[in-house]
Amino acid sequence: MTMNRTILSAAIGALLASCAGIGLASAQEITVWTLNFSNKQANEAMDKIATDFQAANPGATVTVVRRGTDDHKTALRVAAGSDKGPDIYFSWAGLGLGGEYVKAGLSAPLDKYYTEYKWSDRLVPAAASFADLYPGGKNGVPYTFKGEAVYYNKKAFEKAGIAEEPKTYDELLAAAEKLKAAGIPAFTFGGKVNWHVMRLMDVILETKCGAEKHDKLMKMELKWTDEACATESFAEMEKWAKNYILAPFMGIDQTQSFNLFIAGRAAMMLEGDWLVGTLTTNNANLDDYAIFPFPTGTNRLYGFAEYLYVSSKSQNPDLAAKFLEYFTSDAVQQETVGMFATTSPNKNVKYENLPAISQEWLEVFKTYTEVYMNGDQAFPLDVTTEYFRVINDVVAGNIPPAEASKQLQTFIDGRS
Amino acid sequence: MQIKRSMEDARFQGWVLLGPAILIYGVFAMYPLFDVVVMSFQKWNGLDPNRVFVGLDNYRFIFTSDPVFWVAFKNTVIWTIMCLIFPPLVGLLLALGLNQNLFGRGVLRATYYLPVIIASIAVATMWRWMYDPFFGLFSQLMTNMGFGMSIPDWLGDRNVALYSVFIAHLWHSVGFSMVLFLAGLQGVSQTLIEAARIDGAGRWGVFRYVTLPALTSTITIVLVLSVINSLKAFDIVYGLTGGGPAQSTQMLALWAFTQAMQIFDYGRGGAISVVLLLITVSIVVPYLRWTQRHEEAAR
Amino acid sequence: MTAAAQTKAEFDGTKQRMDPVLVGLWISLVLVALIWVAPFVFMIFTSLKTNEAVMATGAFTPPPTYAWENYTEAWGRGRFDVTFFNSAIIAIIKVPLGLAISAMGAYALARMEIAWGKVILVVILFGTMIPFQVMLAPLFTLVNSFDLIDTYPGIILPYIAFGVPYQVFILHGFFRNVPKELSEAAMIDGASHFTIFRRIFLPVSLPVLAALFILDFVATWNEFAMALVLLQNQNMWTLPLGLMSFQGQFSNDYGQLNAAIVMTVLPATIVYLMFQRYFVSGLTSGAVKE
Repeated sequence: MTMNRTILSAAIGALLASCAGIGLASAQEITVWTLNFSNKQANEAMDKIATDFQAANPGATVTVVRRGTDDHKTALRVAAGSDKGPDIYFSWAGLGLGGEYVKAGLSAPLDKYYTEYKWSDRLVPAAASFADLYPGGKNGVPYTFKGEAVYYNKKAFEKAGIAEEPKTYDELLAAAEKLKAAGIPAFTFGGKVNWHVMRLMDVILETKCGAEKHDKLMKMELKWTDEACATESFAEMEKWAKNYILAPFMGIDQTQSFNLFIAGRAAMMLEGDWLVGTLTTNNANLDDYAIFPFPTGTNRLYGFAEYLYVSSKSQNPDLAAKFLEYFTSDAVQQETVGMFATTSPNKNVKYENLPAISQEWLEVFKTYTEVYMNGDQAFPLDVTTEYFRVINDVVAGNIPPAEASKQLQTFIDGRS
Repeated sequence: MQIKRSMEDARFQGWVLLGPAILIYGVFAMYPLFDVVVMSFQKWNGLDPNRVFVGLDNYRFIFTSDPVFWVAFKNTVIWTIMCLIFPPLVGLLLALGLNQNLFGRGVLRATYYLPVIIASIAVATMWRWMYDPFFGLFSQLMTNMGFGMSIPDWLGDRNVALYSVFIAHLWHSVGFSMVLFLAGLQGVSQTLIEAARIDGAGRWGVFRYVTLPALTSTITIVLVLSVINSLKAFDIVYGLTGGGPAQSTQMLALWAFTQAMQIFDYGRGGAISVVLLLITVSIVVPYLRWTQRHEEAAR
Repeated sequence: MTAAAQTKAEFDGTKQRMDPVLVGLWISLVLVALIWVAPFVFMIFTSLKTNEAVMATGAFTPPPTYAWENYTEAWGRGRFDVTFFNSAIIAIIKVPLGLAISAMGAYALARMEIAWGKVILVVILFGTMIPFQVMLAPLFTLVNSFDLIDTYPGIILPYIAFGVPYQVFILHGFFRNVPKELSEAAMIDGASHFTIFRRIFLPVSLPVLAALFILDFVATWNEFAMALVLLQNQNMWTLPLGLMSFQGQFSNDYGQLNAAIVMTVLPATIVYLMFQRYFVSGLTSGAVKE
């Protein structure tokens, strides 16, 4: 009888294995791997686009798969070794994150589609520029183009007697002092998710080092120990953390930080244009908030691009490209305006009936033509991990700023 | 003739019974483990089709140049010691208590065991919310009791974080030790207890001279499983702090995972895993042999 | 029950002397139990609050209005219909199958002369110490090479592989303590090992098996890391993977998240409550020494 049981289990196993064969992708099927955005509008909009595309292209199926940020990265990495991956995948366009996949040959160059569909004509130049970051052709198509700036609670500013938006770094420091005097912490951050606090470091680096040196430091062409502005920036971080950030913040994540912001516990947040969508989803009153770009003194906007790439392993690249064509088309972008991000990478989109805060974002995007990226998109992954660690240590008051530069540089030097 | 046939038969039967276990275990557990050891001598980022042989470079790096390795090592040691003491101790106390014929003890036992059933990510999510320094349970309780000013940053203060995570782990795992001890307590000979009582032994005497010795094999199982599980501490740290703040709650298993699955340096991840494995083996094996010799002497 | 157990019952409870120590003990156990249960209460309350209520009210305040829609929305958002089904299939197949395989193996190692038996046992016990989280990449490559990614066997086989060590560990100890007379008598009668295993050992070890069944069911039900890597196709996702839908980039709907957690935990709780009476007596038999 035990024998029979063994045979039975083997039979079931074989049956299941054969069932696996059913459900292979049909010739006209593509999968899109993307993130699960908390901005629900983004998720719903993507689903609708998929449905509409299927309606317009009978026989084609588009499946959208969503994961959390880290899980998405893991899944992509793991799928790289097989042919079970997606046809289209979402990724940040910078070197540290998206670049790895391109360099590993996971992205199919889309030059012929750019020519065929004339994408360059319809895309905002700054947004489209990220496709040219890597040699070998044009990679990916802009999904969103995001800017980051300082959101502030108007009432908090009023209470502290701040009449105008700070235009220089020193004015910002002065404003923080005024807020402190009025008993309001200036900023709120979620320290647990390292990239949140890192944003402050990025903007301070831009302020203290200027555009060129900042870029060179991120490319590791200059030494962090040699450049005084690097240590200065760490020192500024220490100052902000000690005096002007709502504490305790090291143990909370960005969503907890956001909840504190809309509860009025802090005056400002350094966030991206997507926060408008998140504010809306959380029923916050948009008129209570406004933005101003972090006053770095350079003419660059803090921002990054998110792209949709076609996998080089896709069995249906033409269909995938067609989907991207549909996604970036004037009609679809006009219909979904404001849902993925404040602005569309399509330059033909018209904006109407925007809340005041979104208007401000439009102005910002019109003003700036150059962009500097978030640190974790510029650095390779292992350096990013170390970067996070020293920033957190400085901000927690565990190491002095000079030590932070030293440890970071030691790590960079020690890489093979 | 009959004996000879049954001997051959026996061997055949043995392999049929043992075969599936060995086959599946060998293929799906041992082989990947072997692969990890091999990877620890290579450099691979998961994307390249080639894996470059680099000898002992990974090991050299983690021992000398990795700013986090020794922190993770220290934390793993502290964590393991805490796991060896507290969950078994609390489990034993609970088991002793719930072994008495008390009203509703079935319900109480079920209550204490319940957290064990919850998935670690769910536990982490729950406790992270409870540890929120503004809206969380503990902070609210402290504020209500008037201690609002001295609320520690449960998960953000590096001096406190590891212990906060440990408390969540304790809540999650005590039920398991409790159940094992309860099982062991059922095997304590009643005749011996009676004899001890008749001789005038009080509660403590009975415990020390009858119960405790009878529990030695259970204690062994609980301790071994506790050590093994503590060394694999992962889900709960990952969910609560991710290894932070500033990698101060990092543990070896988590750091290995971070290197492999988040930084995508599989070689270094492999090296750290091998170190962890060696540590586990070096603790567990001698302990098992010591208890085995002990038991054999006692027979 | 045995005479010994009867005496024990007399000794402990029915003397009804209202032992003050016992009363004190009972009170403290109940108090601690209340604290123990607090996170659950917290979780259930939060699952029934709207997000604004979560921010606005205290942890243990009952929900001002019952936001049942958290459950329905969580069910949809987490695609619980699909993930539930997958988790159920995987658990229902894996748990009994794995237990059978481990039991057979444990029996062979405990009661039969196997060449290299001791070595094999050590190698299997070694498996209890492996932190599998670091083996995810090689595991993926292996399963992929069999073309079993996104299939039920592709995840069931690794699950079994990692369940074998501790199941064999416990069952081996138990089987070794079964009196030799039982099997010797059967062997003299010419029974094969299969028969002995099936007719004698399995029935005797039912309580241990029941206990291991619960442990394994819960572990399989809750498993996340391997499923994440081995199940790429979202139609194959298990319940814990579905929870990922609530941990998106900036997700902060705590009400739905807690509703999702409650729904995830419920089946495992039910299985536990159903089988729990076997639990204590089951593990007893595994650890007992006369």
